[in-house]
Amino acid sequence: MASFQAVKKSINLAPTVRALPSGVPAAPLLNLTTRAPVDHHGHGHGHGSSGPRADVPPSWAGGVSKSSFGLFTKTYTTAPAPKLFQQRLLHTSAVVKDAPEVPDFSHYRAPNTDNNRALSYFMVGTMGVLSASVAKSSVSEFLQTMAASADVLALAKVEVDLSTIPEGKNVIIKWRGKPVFIRHRTQSEIDEARSADWKTFRDPESDEARAKKPEWLVMLGVCTHLGCVPIGEAGDYGGWFCPCHGSHYDISGRARKGPAPLNLEVPAHDFNDAEGKLVIG
Amino acid sequence: MSVSIFLKHLAATAYNTIFRRNSVYVGSVFAAAFVFGIGFDSGVTAFWDSWNKGKQWKDIRHKYVQDEE
Repeated sequence: MASFQAVKKSINLAPTVRALPSGVPAAPLLNLTTRAPVDHHGHGHGHGSSGPRADVPPSWAGGVSKSSFGLFTKTYTTAPAPKLFQQRLLHTSAVVKDAPEVPDFSHYRAPNTDNNRALSYFMVGTMGVLSASVAKSSVSEFLQTMAASADVLALAKVEVDLSTIPEGKNVIIKWRGKPVFIRHRTQSEIDEARSADWKTFRDPESDEARAKKPEWLVMLGVCTHLGCVPIGEAGDYGGWFCPCHGSHYDISGRARKGPAPLNLEVPAHDFNDAEGKLVIG
Repeated sequence: MSVSIFLKHLAATAYNTIFRRNSVYVGSVFAAAFVFGIGFDSGVTAFWDSWNKGKQWKDIRHKYVQDEE
């Protein structure tokens, strides 16, 4: 029974009851791409290979005549069309194509891509330049926040007028919260400091390495033992003596006796010869 | 017309000298960033000085400090 229904369905063509999404009526057993036979001259003026048109109305039914006033048309009777001359297709929908035609984009294409390529690279590179600048600026600005501010830097240096210190005298100044000894040494003190056999000392250091100018000795006045402030022109070696635990320093500030492990520290300092000043820091 | 030809040559030259090798490209980007940073800083500083002309210490210092000659 089922096979009979299928045969009957294939013989009696099913009516179109629905449309496909493309708009084409759903007719599964019909070939919708069928067209009328090609006839180049079947378009109405009677000279085709198939001869004059057979559907021209007879002249007694009327027609078009040419007069001096123009075209003149007259119809005497309504003549029926002699025969069906136009094959009717099933529908007039657009034909669905498997591969749609690709439009011609050649008008929009660049004739020469070198400029576009260079411009693209240029824009990317400009972006890179700006990004690198921003990154470098961020890093350097962040690092500058760690630097000392101007007021701290201003306090970090001390100037001493050397002309006010007579020979053979000590001066104690405050620098970064610590005392600094400045000794204007006499020639005999210089000779004594330089002639000592410094290689046998506890912290071997030559006087030439400690004093930039032999007559000026600049040291931090903090005992290297436990941080007391030594007393000047005292001790067994004519230099400094720490009263806390009895450390003796010589005229070059080197630890000679007592518990002090190191020589008195020499801060970074410079001499301004033009103005006769000492700059510590 | 000559401008477009010039641009074409410029583009080809730039591509062949800078963009073709990535190492050269990145290096020139960093070099340009360095130059740009200096130029930007000096430009902004110049604008700042001109905008605040007469208000900064370096503009009025000569009124208050006489250097010993």
